[in-house]
Amino acid sequence: MELSLLKDILVSVIDEIMRAGADYAEIRAQNNDNTILEMKDGQMEAVTVASEVGAGVRVLAKGAWGFSTTNSLLRKDLAESLRAALKMASTAGKKVREPVRLAEVKALEDRVTLPVKKDPRNIDISTKINNLLDINKSCYNFDKRIKSVTLNSANLTTEQTLATSDGTFIEHEKMFVWNYCWVTGKSGAVMASARDEIGAHGYELYENHPPDRIATRVCKKVIQQLEAEPAKSGAHPAIIGTDIVGVLAHEALGHICEADLALSGSAVMGKIGEKIASEKVTIYDSALIPEGFGALKYDDEGVTGEKTVLIQDGILVGYMHNRETAGKMNVPPTGNARAQDFRVPPIIRMRNTCFKEGSHSFEELLEGVRFGYYLEDFRGGQANLDGTFTIGVQSAFEINKSELGKPVRNLGVSGNTLETLEQVDACGKDFGLEMGRCGKGQLMFASDGGPSLRVKTILIGGA
Amino acid sequence: MSLRLCGHAIKAASNAGAEEAEALLFNRYSTNVGIERAEIKTAANVKDVGIAVRAVTKSRIGFAYTNRLTIDEVEKTARAATRASKASLMDKNWKKLPEKKAYPTVEDTYDKRLTEVTPDEAVSVCLKMMAAAVDVDKRVIPAFGGVELETNEMACFNSHGVEVKDRGTVFVYYLGTMARSETQVSPMCLEFKASRVYEPEPDWVGSEAGKLAIQSINVGKAEAGEFPVLLDAFALESIFMYALIPSVRGDNVSRGKSKLKDKIGSRIAGENLDLFDDGTLSGGLRSGKADMEGVPKQRTSIIEKGTLRGFLYDNYWGKKEERESTGNATRGGGRLLLPPYGTLPTIEPSNIILKPGTASEDELIAQVKNGYYVRDVQGAHQSNPETGEFSVAIAPAWRIMKGEITHAVKGAMIAGNIYDVMEKISLIGKKSRQLGTFITPKIVIDKLNVITK
Repeated sequence: MELSLLKDILVSVIDEIMRAGADYAEIRAQNNDNTILEMKDGQMEAVTVASEVGAGVRVLAKGAWGFSTTNSLLRKDLAESLRAALKMASTAGKKVREPVRLAEVKALEDRVTLPVKKDPRNIDISTKINNLLDINKSCYNFDKRIKSVTLNSANLTTEQTLATSDGTFIEHEKMFVWNYCWVTGKSGAVMASARDEIGAHGYELYENHPPDRIATRVCKKVIQQLEAEPAKSGAHPAIIGTDIVGVLAHEALGHICEADLALSGSAVMGKIGEKIASEKVTIYDSALIPEGFGALKYDDEGVTGEKTVLIQDGILVGYMHNRETAGKMNVPPTGNARAQDFRVPPIIRMRNTCFKEGSHSFEELLEGVRFGYYLEDFRGGQANLDGTFTIGVQSAFEINKSELGKPVRNLGVSGNTLETLEQVDACGKDFGLEMGRCGKGQLMFASDGGPSLRVKTILIGGA
Repeated sequence: MSLRLCGHAIKAASNAGAEEAEALLFNRYSTNVGIERAEIKTAANVKDVGIAVRAVTKSRIGFAYTNRLTIDEVEKTARAATRASKASLMDKNWKKLPEKKAYPTVEDTYDKRLTEVTPDEAVSVCLKMMAAAVDVDKRVIPAFGGVELETNEMACFNSHGVEVKDRGTVFVYYLGTMARSETQVSPMCLEFKASRVYEPEPDWVGSEAGKLAIQSINVGKAEAGEFPVLLDAFALESIFMYALIPSVRGDNVSRGKSKLKDKIGSRIAGENLDLFDDGTLSGGLRSGKADMEGVPKQRTSIIEKGTLRGFLYDNYWGKKEERESTGNATRGGGRLLLPPYGTLPTIEPSNIILKPGTASEDELIAQVKNGYYVRDVQGAHQSNPETGEFSVAIAPAWRIMKGEITHAVKGAMIAGNIYDVMEKISLIGKKSRQLGTFITPKIVIDKLNVITK
């Protein structure tokens, strides 16, 4: 559809619903084009192409939210969807004690395009398939013990138009190129797997990660685990490496600092201004790391993305907000409202969540450890509102008398966020950024990272 | 539901040169009301409709989907799928799409009342849940929760004559609570009900969620070592789904990723364990007459008296292994959380049933004597299904001493191996409940490694 035409329609249906009693209305119209490939053990399972159109529509009325969706951008369907959302809001708002109040924002008009070098839509399918074939081949060539290779790649592109009753009108191009490997090896009765996940906004991803480099990286971890022994359960000192420190930032601290969860009673509720971590710890969530998966100029409520400091030198200084939680707490919104697609409303999500670097070399971090573990790479992570977190580790080594020792396999680490952050006694001067996906009912691409960290004690659950 | 669109899609794919074609039409209508911080602040009315076309040309598979349901767009999608198949590589495992078969009659999967529930009624279910939770104790915070009313319609047609349609309703309502004392914060405590019919019991959900939170702030000492552990359905579902079930999926077996590959007929668990999948279970949350590629759902035995009996297959992996599909194809989700029609079939259990025993709640706790009661675990998705090893944080969890629950514990983990766990089941409860695809009673494991700070 002609964009100027779409703008006229969005503005006029929003006007109508405001006259019908809405206090705020918002339409997020999208055109999505996705190409998704899956290869298992060298067999191309499918080439998937998807084309979607739709709008997610939100209305604030009677102090509550109504949400509705449509798969058509025709005027009558958008108007009907707004009416459905208004009805839902009015129903939900019947018993509201504390009405939703949105933080004020300046109305913005903008068009955001991504500075990608290679638009994935211009790369033909056979090139994408050959790329996976090369990764697959390099994996099997790496070692005879590699038994199974699953590869996923996806290019997701979205052309989004956001219009709100505040007068904001933003056209936003979004692009994610993502590559995921899951490789399994077998040696005698021992089986082990490792994952590798990378991403960028353009197809130049594969310039920085040629197939053999991806394959070597992931296969090395599989073989290492096949040869490794289980870890010793219990509380031990640990160095948390740059590929895994981000998970700690994201899972352990990030989620409980999302203002919706903080207000719901998470472990940092009411602790702004208090010391909650060692003074070595500074953690931020930034929209301004261009290569990160969470880079955004505006969020899905049209709020400008910024760098939000969560912990400064051990003191909790802020949460991540959308317009609703910012309005409730009388602070500026931080640009963290994001939605997976038009099927769901925006909620508070992280962008690029990182620990700030310190000044130590890796050797200096090792110096403090008589016996402990170096946690190099992770399989996944999870957190509870009370601050309990778990991280599955896929690559780890013993540390003996300040030196890296033998590899250990399949360990989980667990801890309480605030206790663990208090245990951080040194930060490295190195830095890593990981691209990943986060689930909070909806899926979202996000990044996390930081330097190598040393913690005095963390609970290691060896299987 | 415009079933004719399926016909148009198959015809367009075949006109474009596809040798086989399949069209899956899927509609979901849902009404949701959400609780945040003890208030109802959101309500949504969402429809997601889409059609997905699988086209096969010379054993090359192409797949395309769209949510634009006009004849033009559907035909365009069918041609895109056919083009994608021609651009793809030959899949040497490919045999053919599912053939026509008779479908079972499955009861209690659709309730018309559920489609007529008004947003007002949904709001009132939420209000009752919250009131019941706070009634337990004023320190309870209903942190989040909600009601979801869902109607799903599917139709699957293919060029071998499969033409099936099915519909179902699902009603879910849940409440997550926390409680704070002067020194303690409870973990998030979740209670819910899910059913195919509309028979709300919000008071039960609310008061159970409230009790859990209050029982979680009386925190005492956790002791490390090997202990008997009573595992609740929540904990069992997580551990079984991540540490065991991947190994009974036919694709993993076929690809050498399952430890159970050559174990059919061997004993892999204690003789008191029976596990089967039943997609035809009356009222089962994942029951239906056909799976998401039009294959009839069925009952499939997995473990009988501790002996491994079978695996779960979809059409692709079943045919590759020269077996029949067990009707376990699902769609959507995956690593990118795609819409319910947005992926090719993958293998998923329908309703996995762990056969109940005879023990009452009191008998289960008494059996433990000196150990733990674990309601839920965290981090199970990081298990290693290829070895069966898991290591998870436990919360909410309680210490059992002298055969009685004494106090909550925090910051502890359990670690073990699912095959070892299945050997060491000492008692099985009589009352089952369904969580996701898993239906299980509580069970007592003789010995499990508990790790503490």
